[in-house]
Amino acid sequence: MSITCLQGGRVIDPVNGVNNIQDVYFEKEKIIAKPSNIDSKLISIIDVRDKIIFPGLVDLRFHLKNITGGQTENILSASHAAAAGGYSSVLLMPDTSPKPDNSGTIQFIQDRILKEACVKIHLCGNLTHNGKGEQLAPLGSLQETGVIAITDCPNTTQNNQIFSKGVEYASMFGLLVIDLPRDISLSRNGSAHDGPLALKMGLGGYPRIAEELYVQRAISIAQSIDTKIHLTSISSKGSVELIKSAKDKGIKISADVTANHLCFNENCITGFNPNFKMSPPIREEIDRLSLVDALLEGTIDCISTAHTPFQEHEKNVEYDLSPAGVISFETNLSSCYQTLLGHKEFCWTKLIKAMSSNPSRILEIDSGNLSIDMPADIAVFDPNIEWEYGSRNGFSQAINSPFEKHLFKGKITQTFVNGKIAFELQ
Amino acid sequence: MDISNWTRKSLLGIEELSYNEITQILELAKLFKKETEGDMSNKDYLRGKRMVNLFMEPSTRTRIAFEVAAKSLHADVISVAEQSSSLTKGETLRDTAMNIQALGADAIVLRHSSPGASLFLSKIVDVPIINAGDGAHEHPSQALLDLYTLQDKLGSVEGKKITILGDILFSRVARSNFWALSKMGAEVTLAGPSTLVPKQFESMGARVSHNLEEALQDADAVMLLRIQHERQSSSHFPSLAEYTKIFGLNKDRKQWLKKGALILHPGPVNRGVELDSELADSPQSVILDQVSNGIAVRMAILYLCTMQGATSL
Repeated sequence: MSITCLQGGRVIDPVNGVNNIQDVYFEKEKIIAKPSNIDSKLISIIDVRDKIIFPGLVDLRFHLKNITGGQTENILSASHAAAAGGYSSVLLMPDTSPKPDNSGTIQFIQDRILKEACVKIHLCGNLTHNGKGEQLAPLGSLQETGVIAITDCPNTTQNNQIFSKGVEYASMFGLLVIDLPRDISLSRNGSAHDGPLALKMGLGGYPRIAEELYVQRAISIAQSIDTKIHLTSISSKGSVELIKSAKDKGIKISADVTANHLCFNENCITGFNPNFKMSPPIREEIDRLSLVDALLEGTIDCISTAHTPFQEHEKNVEYDLSPAGVISFETNLSSCYQTLLGHKEFCWTKLIKAMSSNPSRILEIDSGNLSIDMPADIAVFDPNIEWEYGSRNGFSQAINSPFEKHLFKGKITQTFVNGKIAFELQ
Repeated sequence: MDISNWTRKSLLGIEELSYNEITQILELAKLFKKETEGDMSNKDYLRGKRMVNLFMEPSTRTRIAFEVAAKSLHADVISVAEQSSSLTKGETLRDTAMNIQALGADAIVLRHSSPGASLFLSKIVDVPIINAGDGAHEHPSQALLDLYTLQDKLGSVEGKKITILGDILFSRVARSNFWALSKMGAEVTLAGPSTLVPKQFESMGARVSHNLEEALQDADAVMLLRIQHERQSSSHFPSLAEYTKIFGLNKDRKQWLKKGALILHPGPVNRGVELDSELADSPQSVILDQVSNGIAVRMAILYLCTMQGATSL
């Protein structure tokens, strides 16, 4: 039986304008058309009635410090966590150890990925050496050895000349630059949104303008060089307005938001729980509502995970000493679905666009749609399963989730990557 | 005195306290103040209790006041400073505190640079945690002793106008005092340069002023705060000299104060910067009353937290 049929589910395939109940066929690693002569003995049928079928999710930002593994999050555990969340392709930020800043290390990381990962892990190279923002990295060589985008995330190149020349140089190779917009001088000690709550709690503020100044910088540079820049982890209403206005002018800017910024507002840090500390910080309700609207109207293109694993002893310390970042792979789709479901503009097509089709288009990878001959990267979601998330029961080796003990309705039941089962709900 | 209503094991901040809880602490402090004027040798209310002062930031007044308070009640006191602890060897606060608990502490008095550090610790160890200052968040015992001093001099703070002047942004004293005073019915004005007193403090219910004369007029008491130059970058104000020129309280500006208005300062005072010596040492100044009242207030805090569950003193 070499052909598999996902039978009877609602198929959401925004690129092909599909949103109806139909069967999806794949043979080995490719999606195929419905076979003209169906010999039931040759077809393995998976009943997916009452479930939602869509192209595997694609993530634009995740972090993994430790490539070689052990008891901390590693390629194996992160990829299983991603698959459990419906992801088939994820983009690894370059703050790894070792760093993907030379061909030997890139080859080493790729070998580990090939050996251990159950989803497609793409590599993102550094824009500057070691992400320090001082000297451009060898972008052309990095591309030749396999990086598909460049960034200094989680850092941000502060020097405007280095950043603009980096973008210009990268454009020569058609390499996408991903920028986490942040002015460090305005946010160095910021561990919370710079607003009344942080003021009350005595926490250092990370103001909206620290982001918005750099959003404007990216827009101005993208316009002047006439090239693409992707802004990751947008968090403020002002940033949304800047991006909307830039897109209206035809400037090649794209942006993503994390599920956490769609689901929470700043009140989540009351109680100093470090599992709500992230960079950029969660802002006020007015920002959250603006981000949700911007996502559903298309100003924000994608939802990213910003999955950043830490071990308990690293993360569960005094709030301001705790490193920023949370894990998200296993909860991202369920949390977005739960948050957006009640919105009058919500539809599955928009959600799958934001979590699969758009990030695939931005990264220019073979993913994000269910066209014939595409890799069989497919996720199945049961909107009726009620479940409680517990980080210790998940695939990730890390525990730093803001959704601990959260009740969700809706869960991924299967994820296929190149036609192979990468996750199946037991 | 009936203390059966007291249900808190830890004192983490003023924001969470009710009017009645604040009143209860101050009533007990009043009792202790009276007792300390007499013979304390047989007042061994906390005999056999072991109190650990865990100070991760420099402190003179607060650390000594807690020590004196505990010893006055015949508790055993162990003081740990960051420099002499295993924290310098990389031990985390969590592990240090768990070890202190394992060594038999009955209460931990914590001073730490991280906002929320006391709350963090209270979730890890079972012993009472008394917040002796957590970053710019809260400094409850200071606010309670300030309130004690004000009530002692003014009778009650209800309806009184109190101005807190100086570096509010980085001040735990200002935040705790704001909560304490406003819960007791005072009108609080936070004053100083706009970079150190953001308008957003109004969302907490405070009045914000960047004009010294306006902030001092009508005030029944002015609480000055030290300019913490160790915490600020040069971006918050140009220089101490400029601060003194625009916001320093000196002889000439004394005329802006109401007659008899009290002057408070949590210390340490930078004489000649935020406050001139002439005013610091004037009859209006209650700075030393604050210090001595601090002992009685901390006796009350230690007693209530470590004897939680007791019905009477």
